[in-house]
Amino acid sequence: MEKVILIGGRAGQGSAVTSNFIGKIFCHLGFYVFNYRDYPSLIRGGHNFNILRISDKPVFSQKEKCDIILAFDQKTIDLHRKKLNKKGIILRSFDFEPVLKKIGGPKILENDILIGSLFKYFSVAKEVLIREAEKEFPKDNELIKKAIVAGYDLTKNKEKLISKGGVKYFLTGTDGVALGAIASGLDIYFAYPMTPTTPLLNFLAKKQSRHNILTFQPEDEISVINAALGASFGGAKVMVGTSGGGFALMTEAVSLAGMAELPLVIYLGQRTAPSSGIPTYTGQGDLKFALNAGHGEFPRIVVAPGDPQEAIFRTQEAFYLSSKYRIPAIILSDKHLAESNYSFDKIERSPLISPKIAENMPENYKSYTITKNGVSPVFFPGQGPVVRVNSYEHDDEGNTTENPIWAEKMNDKRFKKLPYLKKEIDKFNPVSLYGKGKNLIIGWGSTKGAIVDALPEIKNYRFLQVSYMSPFPKEQVLKEIKKSKKVVLVENNVTGLLGDVIAEQTGFIIKNKILKYDARPFDTEFLIKKIWTFKN
Amino acid sequence: MILQSFKEAVAELADANKIKIKNTAIVTGIGCHAKIFDYVNLNSFSGLHGRVLPTLLGVKMSNPELKVIGFGGDGDTFSEGASHFIHACRRNADLTMVVHNNQVFALTVGQPTPTSERGFLDGYPPPGVTDQPLNPIALALINGATFVARTYALDKGHLKATLKQAIEHKGFSFVDILQPCIIFHNVVPYFQKNVYKLDKNYNPSNFKAALEKALEWDYCFDKGTKVPIGVFYQIKKPTFEEQLSVPDNPWYKTERKINWKEMTEEFKS
Repeated sequence: MEKVILIGGRAGQGSAVTSNFIGKIFCHLGFYVFNYRDYPSLIRGGHNFNILRISDKPVFSQKEKCDIILAFDQKTIDLHRKKLNKKGIILRSFDFEPVLKKIGGPKILENDILIGSLFKYFSVAKEVLIREAEKEFPKDNELIKKAIVAGYDLTKNKEKLISKGGVKYFLTGTDGVALGAIASGLDIYFAYPMTPTTPLLNFLAKKQSRHNILTFQPEDEISVINAALGASFGGAKVMVGTSGGGFALMTEAVSLAGMAELPLVIYLGQRTAPSSGIPTYTGQGDLKFALNAGHGEFPRIVVAPGDPQEAIFRTQEAFYLSSKYRIPAIILSDKHLAESNYSFDKIERSPLISPKIAENMPENYKSYTITKNGVSPVFFPGQGPVVRVNSYEHDDEGNTTENPIWAEKMNDKRFKKLPYLKKEIDKFNPVSLYGKGKNLIIGWGSTKGAIVDALPEIKNYRFLQVSYMSPFPKEQVLKEIKKSKKVVLVENNVTGLLGDVIAEQTGFIIKNKILKYDARPFDTEFLIKKIWTFKN
Repeated sequence: MILQSFKEAVAELADANKIKIKNTAIVTGIGCHAKIFDYVNLNSFSGLHGRVLPTLLGVKMSNPELKVIGFGGDGDTFSEGASHFIHACRRNADLTMVVHNNQVFALTVGQPTPTSERGFLDGYPPPGVTDQPLNPIALALINGATFVARTYALDKGHLKATLKQAIEHKGFSFVDILQPCIIFHNVVPYFQKNVYKLDKNYNPSNFKAALEKALEWDYCFDKGTKVPIGVFYQIKKPTFEEQLSVPDNPWYKTERKINWKEMTEEFKS
């Protein structure tokens, strides 16, 4: 069983809220739901739409063709009618004007009348809808419930959908990063608003008192990262969030984190670039930027989750590794992952716990003591020992130096961490393999959803998801490439950036590429069509 | 001179139990001023050019028990860091910002900064600087700084007393130190002749009078204008930290218990 519902209207008409609510009701009924969100950079007007894919099996991507269109305006119908399957139906909220008049209340209630009609169509009990409405809108829900009932009573039962039941969790990639950060013991989140990472700032701001954390929006991204490093020096567990343009402003301080050896987690949500690009749309164009941002050489972590559950794990790993090895860690996401809702039977956290702070006060503490693995013992200002961090090259006490011996020693110290880091990352599944077959698809990040959903229909292909970009798991990637007859690269960018990284790291050049750079995410139908072109 | 006065100021405040050395931290930028990083044995962070104030704010946010003092140059603070300076004044976090104002980029051998006077030539092509100098005292005042002072590096007693007052002030305190660079911008004779201390009867809680005083000298040297030094303005306002609902402890001492079930409840169908 699978149903695809497209919900659309002008910005401000409520297609995001409505689709989220409908998605939650289907989850409650035991279905798996994927909710894709498509909207322009506008507050009012334009055209917004969501695609809800509902299934009795797990789904991780949207589909192009739909079974139902829920239209809040005529434009939605004009734009999307061609995507409607043969037996598809269209429900229009603006048909309910007379019903709304009887109820009284704001125009937005037409959406709830529509919801009532939709679920009656699918033979869902009225009581379920009422209960879900009370859950979703705990305050002032009388009119909403009235509207749902009015819509319900307008239609007849047409179909009955059957699920396997069971609890579902419905969350976005943003939620995953938030949960991972809180579970890691986040203290302060610094961010300047920028799509698609603003939802994390909003989410964490709402949770401030509940989780005893602090969110702060300073004057610009440069302040964001420098304040975060100041707080990291002071012993707070910090994260910053931004997108490509904001990250560009941060890069000088990314290098500072590398030199000063201060833990810092950076949540980088990609959107369509270059420059201002297409702000509310997706892309994977910043992979090499994340890998190379910041002048000079220093080790870093770059990890790219593929769904919200992975976002929880990868965020926890980023915090753990960043604080243990005192290097910057970048969580590389994108608009598609950050703002789409995914459903899971359960969501888990990693058992990782960040290293404890030191308590025994040393006699002659040196902030940059050289050790076997390059990581110096850490104290924070106020604990006792004088703590000194330096953006200039320094000796082990943190004193500025131009001495060639110290310059070499300190570069070696910073890079001594790398083999230890690599060993640790090998335990975190830096790559994941899905399906069976002699041919191999390689991808990363949010394309995972469409690829995994397409696998059952493209026999002979398995999928290698690369999650750690730095340090790069080259042995694991090369091993899978060598085992494969044909290798196909799938990326949401123009030139195949992961392909370049693989070439640089392993010497293997991937010739077959499926690249999508129309600012839209992959969907299963598109991917399957493209894969066939490589199928001999 | 600034180094010595600062050391004495900190030592005297510590002796008087007004601050604790182990709870004191400094942040420096990039420029001649930043050499202070290597000459004081305090918790210290040598940061980036122009970014002293955000870094300093971060240090303060991480641990409310810390007394934090930032050092920047005039190029550092008013060129690349100008926007941070404005917002720091507005925000009134409990920070002290000390600017070593020599009106020149000396470490890069003599380029003009925002506080260089009109006609400044050294290391700069004719006709020299045509921009009007930025007036840091006026800028701090109109943006809400709660402690605004100017002092003179060659008047050690005044310098030390001003630093002590600034460090003790609760809220954002700004000290502009006139510190002539004897190599690239030697205006010592002008200052020796024209610097004068604010009158004993001067009332530093009068904003309009402070602003008027701030505008008395425009950071140029062509008119023989007198240069006032002293605390131009000081008032009490709620600090940034007081208005945040955060614990009074350093974050690293925060005990956390993660209740995963409760955290994930809102996503459950």
